Amino acid sequence: MRILIVEDEPRLLRNLARALREEEYAVDTAERGDEGIFKAESCNYDAIVLDVMLPGMDGWQFLTRLRKTKQTPVLMLTARDAPPDRVRGLDTGADDYLVKPFDLAELLARIRSIIRRASGNANPCLELGDVMIDPRARSVTFAGDAVTLTAREYSILEYLALQRGHVVTRTELYEHLFDENEDTLSNLLDVHIFSIRKKIRPDIIKTRRGDGYYIEE
Amino acid sequence: MFTHSIRWRLQLWLAFLLVCVLSGFGLTVYQLQRITQLNQLDEALKRRVAALNLTVRGGPMMEFFRRSDTDKGPGPRDFPSGGFNSGSRERPYGPPHGPGFMPGEKREVRLSPETAALFSGSQPGAFYFSVWSRDSNLLARAAGGPTNVSLPPGMGRDTSLHAGIRGKNREAYQFTELGDCILVGRSLIPDWDAESRLAWMLLAAGGGVLALGLSGGWLLTTRAIRPVEEISAAASRISAGNLSERITTSEPNNELGRLAGILNNTFSRLETVFNQQKQFTADAAHELRTPIAVLISEAQVMLSRERTPSEYKESLETCLDTAQQLRRLTDSLLELARTESNQFDSDRSRVDVSEVARDCVERLKPLAAERNVVLKTELNPGEVIINSDRLVQILINLLSNGIHYNKPGGEVLVKTVNETGKISIIVQDTGIGIPEEDLPRIFDRFYRADKSRSRAEGRAGLGLAICKAIVEAEGGELSVESKLNVGTTFKVLFPGAAPRARNIQVAP
Repeated sequence: MRILIVEDEPRLLRNLARALREEEYAVDTAERGDEGIFKAESCNYDAIVLDVMLPGMDGWQFLTRLRKTKQTPVLMLTARDAPPDRVRGLDTGADDYLVKPFDLAELLARIRSIIRRASGNANPCLELGDVMIDPRARSVTFAGDAVTLTAREYSILEYLALQRGHVVTRTELYEHLFDENEDTLSNLLDVHIFSIRKKIRPDIIKTRRGDGYYIEE
Repeated sequence: MFTHSIRWRLQLWLAFLLVCVLSGFGLTVYQLQRITQLNQLDEALKRRVAALNLTVRGGPMMEFFRRSDTDKGPGPRDFPSGGFNSGSRERPYGPPHGPGFMPGEKREVRLSPETAALFSGSQPGAFYFSVWSRDSNLLARAAGGPTNVSLPPGMGRDTSLHAGIRGKNREAYQFTELGDCILVGRSLIPDWDAESRLAWMLLAAGGGVLALGLSGGWLLTTRAIRPVEEISAAASRISAGNLSERITTSEPNNELGRLAGILNNTFSRLETVFNQQKQFTADAAHELRTPIAVLISEAQVMLSRERTPSEYKESLETCLDTAQQLRRLTDSLLELARTESNQFDSDRSRVDVSEVARDCVERLKPLAAERNVVLKTELNPGEVIINSDRLVQILINLLSNGIHYNKPGGEVLVKTVNETGKISIIVQDTGIGIPEEDLPRIFDRFYRADKSRSRAEGRAGLGLAICKAIVEAEGGELSVESKLNVGTTFKVLFPGAAPRARNIQVAP
């Protein structure tokens, strides 16, 4: 999962990026609204955490412009808590609204929730037959037994599970799993997929030659 | 209660005044009419008494009443036989106290047709008369007259004419020199009827005028009060929270129109102040919550798993920085609140601005050196009456702004100028300048022309707002000129202190 944080307070930005990276998200950051919208428009993020008061372009302008091209789920993060502000945020196209100061656990839960809902899942757990994925604990069970996956393996499985029924290209997987600072070798992806198949079952992830990977519905 | 309504009160007063005026007028008319009528009646009675007097005394008009009178005049026929005949002797009255006059003498009073005509007519409006001889014998009386007319009491030798009301009649009587008594009367009933008709007419007319007056008054007060009601309706909408509401008035030039204009101005200013306050609260909330969010979030992330000592150290430094920022912010907010409500004790004294400026420049030299900015001065002595701590605060704020928003190698020039009784302090930098569109707002609280840059430096955007508040509280003016990428000039203007010799009491 790849997330963009747009926040003008540098310490908060650094802290949030760290917290989300520790949750195995790929995190991009922007300190200005105009910088943020550029990134948001050029890349498909799984979620955007957006401050309202921003230099360059404020959060509302950001949202209005983003919604013309993208449906990326947006969590608005702001110190403005007056109901008109919240209503305005939600009406402009935000998926959720969190008032500063916030609780980190709540922020993480809300991010999980908007990502889940954006993929059309209301159920917090993802079921693939006898395989059960729990995003809250980032754990996977197969036929009732816990499966030990590395963080990256888990992220690949979770992303494919959220997009099940659709073929996910290698580029898309890269885009959603690695942030702008990472440089990974492309064959590493094959290694992770191989490992997941080995740990669960070989047909859990299918390959469409030349296109990408998918999980059957 | 309707007496609390101006319209009703006006209406009641109007009704009261109208009733007073109308009843006063009506009563006067009524009274005048009554008096006139009575006077006329008395005149008529007097004429008749005089005529009868002549007849009784046998004056030139005297005639004897002849029963066989063929005169077609109305008089004689109105006196049926025996009416005036108390005796059979046809003998004129003798001269008063003359010979031949004897008490109990039977005399016959005969009226000339002219005199008789005076007593024609039927009841109740007709005049009647009675004549008595000196010894109280009824000599004659009018045929149609009341039978119970009694002889008025004689009053010695009083021969003047008396008039009075007896029962329902007005009567006039006179004693002749011989002692005969002549009485003429007329019923007052027709007069009373006329009076009551007049009273009713006056009442009806008064009622009509009252009704007209009240409805006119109602229309007038309605017209006069309508703008007031419009104003009060608009004001209540505004007090209900709709601050953008304004009073619309069709006649802006009359008294109420001007009032509406004044109120509209007030409402505009209120709205501006209210919006500024709202903006300030929102901004303050933002500025206070963001560092708190950093503190909480930082602590939670650090506590979420085991960290290395260097990570803890780094985190604590972040927390400390943030807490310091929070402290500066709360200090500034309190400062601003105190200045704006004029709560600080203005401990004013005579201060030489050039000395204060020199001190401030010395204090900021380390910061300037750190930023590679040169501080220059052009100081002329000039005295103002001011709280010196406040002056220092203004200068430090302006100077540190000049240093912060400067370019490396730039300079900040501090000038004090004393001319025409005004002292100006000018802080001129060769910095990045302020975009023209931001200039009107730079004194707004929390306003930062370059948000990202100032936030990173921990500046909340309150410095200039505080400066302006202090300068204005101390009776000065703060103005700014700026050119992007060339530099910014702040100018503080204070009225100079009067020469020391003449104004010792100002600076205790």
